[in-house]
Amino acid sequence: MTLQVAVAGPQKIGAVPLGTRVTAPIASGHFEGPRLRGKVLPGGGDWTLLRGDGVLELDLRITLETDDGALIHMTSFGLRHGPPAVLAALARGERVDPSSYYFRTTPRFETGHPKYAFLNRLLAVSSGDRRPEGPIYTIDEIL
Amino acid sequence: MEARRRDVLKLAAFATLSGCARVPLASTAPSSADWKAAMRSRPLLTLRLSTAPTQDIGAGPHGTRVTFPITGGTFAGDRLRGKVLPGGDDWTVTRPDGVIELDLRITLQTDDGALVYMTFEGIRDDSAPGAPYFRTLPRFETAEPKYAFLNRLLAVGKGEIRPDGPVHVIEEVL
Repeated sequence: MTLQVAVAGPQKIGAVPLGTRVTAPIASGHFEGPRLRGKVLPGGGDWTLLRGDGVLELDLRITLETDDGALIHMTSFGLRHGPPAVLAALARGERVDPSSYYFRTTPRFETGHPKYAFLNRLLAVSSGDRRPEGPIYTIDEIL
Repeated sequence: MEARRRDVLKLAAFATLSGCARVPLASTAPSSADWKAAMRSRPLLTLRLSTAPTQDIGAGPHGTRVTFPITGGTFAGDRLRGKVLPGGDDWTVTRPDGVIELDLRITLQTDDGALVYMTFEGIRDDSAPGAPYFRTLPRFETAEPKYAFLNRLLAVGKGEIRPDGPVHVIEEVL
């Protein structure tokens, strides 16, 4: 499926023992694929940590609501890094070719809804595209 | 019809995990027309583990816990090879829905002496249609500059239980 989220104002926690921490609250979003579609509930976030080696660690937690009312807990660990010029363009809010940097995550899902229980039993990988209006993730089930 | 579609997807994924072809790991067509990237992977290493008798912790709040001590093993790929140091474990828990959650921590030692801390989370679903679903998400940490690329990648693994121990074929997510 494809997931697009809108980020509210980032909370710059600053320099912490493991790096530089910025928390990005997720205000809204939507997702769509052949087996599920719906919207992202407000209240989640992406707890990011810029490591000393320049790699940004992502730690996303959000709740998805399908169009037929099921709630799905989604978490995703990821990494983002790339050439300094590309990262600087991203930081300026410019649109950048997503193939010019590495932005990958590994989503996990939990739900109590029987129709979507298959999500409890799979691992996934995603490829991210950091757009000015918020990231878009193309999420694939690992078969 | 749905089963047939999944079979086709499984073939594509198998090719990807084997590094045979550059094919998408999955199915979903991106909604944005200018997004051309497809998920690809390439071989990283094959990991063979030997385990000691399990420690059956029993029924806990998350399910049935069984810990597999890792006594050793080997790993080999184009970019790194070496042995698994004794002392790691795979902390597994069988959930009420029958899926086994995996949580492994081991130390790899390359043939040129670098130490690499490796972890994975994963799931094993022996009741999956067709064949057992045994997949992992390995991560690596090392201080050795030669292997620093491991700090910057995500990976997927396909596991198999063989008579002489578990084998994981691990691919870098490109």
